[in-house]
Amino acid sequence: MLKRLALAAGLLALWPALLHAHHGWGSYDAKNPITVTGKILTSVYENPHATITVQGADKVWTVTLAPTSRMRNRGALPELVAVGTEISAYGYPSTADPGEMRAERITAGGKTIEMR
Amino acid sequence: MNAAAPGFLVALETSELGALIRQSAWIYPTANITHVVAIVLFAGAIAVMDVRLMGGMAGSDPARVVRGARRAAVLALIIVLLSGAVLFTAEASHVALNGIFQLKMALIAFGIVHAFFVGNRAVRALDALGPQAPMPGFARFAGALSMLTWLGVVGLGRYIAYN
Repeated sequence: MLKRLALAAGLLALWPALLHAHHGWGSYDAKNPITVTGKILTSVYENPHATITVQGADKVWTVTLAPTSRMRNRGALPELVAVGTEISAYGYPSTADPGEMRAERITAGGKTIEMR
Repeated sequence: MNAAAPGFLVALETSELGALIRQSAWIYPTANITHVVAIVLFAGAIAVMDVRLMGGMAGSDPARVVRGARRAAVLALIIVLLSGAVLFTAEASHVALNGIFQLKMALIAFGIVHAFFVGNRAVRALDALGPQAPMPGFARFAGALSMLTWLGVVGLGRYIAYN
């Protein structure tokens, strides 16, 4: 009985590791911050997080921003992250998706806005 | 949208309803707040029910306490499920592939089945008991298992964001 319980507990603990991890806050590499600078290619101003793609120097990055109400409160209106705008996003690369990063702050249109 | 998810989840997320939830300034935050507040109510009711099943609050009539708490828990759970469905619709294809979310759903299913079968049996057994009567073993076990299950669900729910 005890053995079986231990096995079940072990499997439960392993489950997350066995499955493909996707989106989330813990899945960003905060030890290796990066800055992606370039033109905004696509812009989706939606909850739970606004998302843009940016033509970086190396590749196209998907940049995850903040909830839309927080963005609005801080002056990051949809126009600020519209397609075609030059933007600089400082943040952390995803450990699950090599093309995605989570922005700590963005600089666009002469404004720097915190996303956290 | 995550194309690796099953088609019906991709369809749900990309539906007009999904877009409406994401594009509205208030629907998603409201569903999120409602979800948490309803979880608090649910947890309170579950705690009363399970503590009584485990033999706590021994001076009270066990059948009345457990039945009342159970009704409150069911009501709160309905609100939790409805608000959760709104949150899920907005991100269905992403969240469905999250291992912690899958584990949470499995545990919720277990919790509901447990409450239905084992819980029903425990509740019926309480009718014969008055205040101060010792709780039967399976009632204690049902209470402990229920508490562990739902605490686990809440913990996993919060952990989804970090996986």
